[in-house]
Amino acid sequence: MAKDVKPTRKELMQIEDRIDLSERGHGTLEKKRDGLIMEFMDILDQAQDVRGELSEDYERAQKTINMARAMEGDVAVRGAAAALQEHPEITTESKNIMGVVVPQIESSKVTKSLDQRGYGIMGTSARIDEAAEAYEDLLQSIILAAEVETAMKKMLREIETTKRRVNALEFKLLPELYENKEFIEQKLEEQEREEIFRLKKIKEKKEAEEEAEKAEAEAEAEAAAVEEPVASD
Amino acid sequence: MSQEIAVVGSPEFTTGFRLAGVREFANVPDDEKDEHLDEAVTGVLEDDGVGIVVMHEGDLEHLSRNVRSNVETSVEPVVVTIGSGASGGGGLREQIKRAIGIDLMDEDSE
Repeated sequence: MAKDVKPTRKELMQIEDRIDLSERGHGTLEKKRDGLIMEFMDILDQAQDVRGELSEDYERAQKTINMARAMEGDVAVRGAAAALQEHPEITTESKNIMGVVVPQIESSKVTKSLDQRGYGIMGTSARIDEAAEAYEDLLQSIILAAEVETAMKKMLREIETTKRRVNALEFKLLPELYENKEFIEQKLEEQEREEIFRLKKIKEKKEAEEEAEKAEAEAEAEAAAVEEPVASD
Repeated sequence: MSQEIAVVGSPEFTTGFRLAGVREFANVPDDEKDEHLDEAVTGVLEDDGVGIVVMHEGDLEHLSRNVRSNVETSVEPVVVTIGSGASGGGGLREQIKRAIGIDLMDEDSE
């Protein structure tokens, strides 16, 4: 607040520099926030599509596994599930969107051929194969959804942080700086007025003193002139 | 570093994923979810070897407030919930509302 500020010209210059920097920062951050929101909108569209596909894949996967359970029995399905030898793996690389590092997920061993699954061909039926295939497709969709949703979450965090910074500058820091600047300017003007008044007073006093001295000198001269004829007599 | 996909939920939910080769799983029967789901989810979230956690949207209701908040905001690993339709997780929707100021999911679904 203004009461903590020293009303000096140096402080005023420092505050003006800070205002300049804060205004530039505010503009840049606003642009960043708008840019992030635009990028986020694109990702959101993509996310809605991915979510739709994920939902469809999940329904299909559920239908096939329910069918497999009904035809083969729960124990057979669980037995086949326990026999899997190849496991899907993911590796994450990163991509930079306006300073936000978002992941790009690469997957391997998600889709497997019949012989790679490891539960054998003889002991299981085509229903289980279909269920496994449906769940492999579902995993692909999940990996895509994970990539998009992580990007969304990270961008949302960045948007929130940027928005908070913009608001702090706009509604807290800049108004305070403007208030301080105004306070110092008013104080300096007041000091200047006081200084002018003081100088005026000093000048008046000096002039009065000079006039008094002059009058005194004149009076002395007059007195000397009066005394001189008396002495000559 | 390669990571794995983990599934947490009822045995009926996890079996399908195990059929697709997922070996990181936590089975929590439906009647034990209120007591043990928090523990299972926290365990998976703390595992550095897990990159994606798959859960059923309905299971989020059984989580305590803290764990649910962790699930909704976690980025490493990211938690993908399924069974909620095309609108995505509830947490994400809330986050969008908070960050952008508008309910974009609602607008799009109308």
